[in-house]
Amino acid sequence: MTGILETRLGPLKLKNPVLVASGTFGYGVEYEDIMDISRIGGICVKGISLTPRPGNPPPRVCETPAGMLNAIGLANIGYDAFISGPLQRLRELCATVIVNTYGTSAEEFAELARRFDKVEGIAALEVNISCPNVNAGGIHFGMRPEPAREVTRAVREATRLPIIVKLSPEAIDLAGVAQAVVEAGADALAVMNTIRGMSIDVDTRRPRLGSVMGGLSGPAIRPLAVRLVYEVHKAVSAPIIGIGGVTCLQDALEFFLAGASAVQVGTANYSNPRTSLDIIDDFETYCIEHHLFPSDLTGKVQI
Amino acid sequence: MKWLRTTITQIERPAPGFALLRFAGQPEIQGEPGQFVMVRGAWGNDPILARAFSLVEVGVHGAILVRVVGRGTRRLADMRPGDSIDVLGPAGHGFDFSGKGDVSVLVAGGVGVAPILMLAESMAASGQRPIVLYGARGSGELVLCERLASAGEVAVATEDGSRGHRGYVTDLLLGVLEKQPSAHLYACGPEGMLEAVAKMAVRRSVPCQIALESPMACGKGTCKGCAVLARSGQYLYICSDGPVLSADDIYGEEQ
Repeated sequence: MTGILETRLGPLKLKNPVLVASGTFGYGVEYEDIMDISRIGGICVKGISLTPRPGNPPPRVCETPAGMLNAIGLANIGYDAFISGPLQRLRELCATVIVNTYGTSAEEFAELARRFDKVEGIAALEVNISCPNVNAGGIHFGMRPEPAREVTRAVREATRLPIIVKLSPEAIDLAGVAQAVVEAGADALAVMNTIRGMSIDVDTRRPRLGSVMGGLSGPAIRPLAVRLVYEVHKAVSAPIIGIGGVTCLQDALEFFLAGASAVQVGTANYSNPRTSLDIIDDFETYCIEHHLFPSDLTGKVQI
Repeated sequence: MKWLRTTITQIERPAPGFALLRFAGQPEIQGEPGQFVMVRGAWGNDPILARAFSLVEVGVHGAILVRVVGRGTRRLADMRPGDSIDVLGPAGHGFDFSGKGDVSVLVAGGVGVAPILMLAESMAASGQRPIVLYGARGSGELVLCERLASAGEVAVATEDGSRGHRGYVTDLLLGVLEKQPSAHLYACGPEGMLEAVAKMAVRRSVPCQIALESPMACGKGTCKGCAVLARSGQYLYICSDGPVLSADDIYGEEQ
């Protein structure tokens, strides 16, 4: 490790710009037996709510062309169990922990932020105003600027931790939502969460997911995500974390050129849990060979 | 659990649409009957997910039984010796067959024969001779019967009557349970078969372990994709709580 990949996202310092996306890497500790999770730029843990959530009726996942649909429904162990369980181990392993938070109201988001503010070993909060698989909260805060601003402001007032706001591709005016959350105090933006999709089994004539619709992820959505990173980068100066179908260094570079300062690996963790480490190694080699830092690439697409 | 990039060493094609893939262990593949591995070939982005397969053999070589049902299984079944595959495992909880001396009755449906074969061979290696009931739609879908027969007493059923009993494997089970009321049951197969076996067991208070399957993404308890609703009203996760669960936990009657 040369330090060439060290990355700053506003106040958030990371050892490298390759993170793993919330919901695709559990609480991180599940992977310590097969890889050194402290090498990952940041582990965005499975979305945490104040109280445990059981999740949606099965089937919850199905595969689609170059991607997948999920309707997990933010099944998670809740704040207390996360603090006393996985977080302890993450600290022992020196992992960079980014806590993805989910609430059904601005006040719930703020309460989570207040609690995490007092907890050791957390690098940043990722505020999830873009989950498509819950009835209350989630994407409903991310569709328009005003609710997004309200949640971000409430979180900002509740914590000194760096705040990443995770945006939805379904916002009618994503640049407007991005501007609103940056004005309200977001330090960085995560672009993007899944987009709602649907798949039908033509033999049974039934939806493949128990919740009928679910969030589409994987390489299938990468061009959409690259476009949105490009548009948001033109609209705001806050650093952007690109998410959507990153499977290899080439995919990561595409997001950087569009305007990202970091990327998250999501669905590809299911093809190969070590994908993020492979990208980190390849990124370091690339930077040395090209005599540059990752930040030199941000927004450098030539139009 | 380990993640390894290894190579296919040998492929047997026991019937059309089936492939028994052996892969190198580097140095050894470990696992118990009922445990599984997530397997994916080096084929780019599509299909994106690894596939879950019960272990059939462990040791210097691991083996899985692939039945072609879609794009991913087609690509795996078409692989050749020397091709690269990624293997994550062993995953989940396997069968508990420590209770020696009991009469073991193993029930397999379709490709569900994979973990049942490994279980039967493990029992045989420890001196037991289990009863194995094996059902499929037709004789063309009965595979690995010779190996089953050298591990236990096998009876087969086919829905079209092309081999063995005409009808369901549960018809055979009914007869066995009348003669062997103190049996221990172990089952793997399609959901309808598992439900029927489990309910027969629960009704007779016969211990029964069932190996379940589900669409699955991670194989490691993290994505929460493979939920199954337990009798308790809670969700269990097939990859981390199972895939082998007690019939009572899923199909037990309300107290």
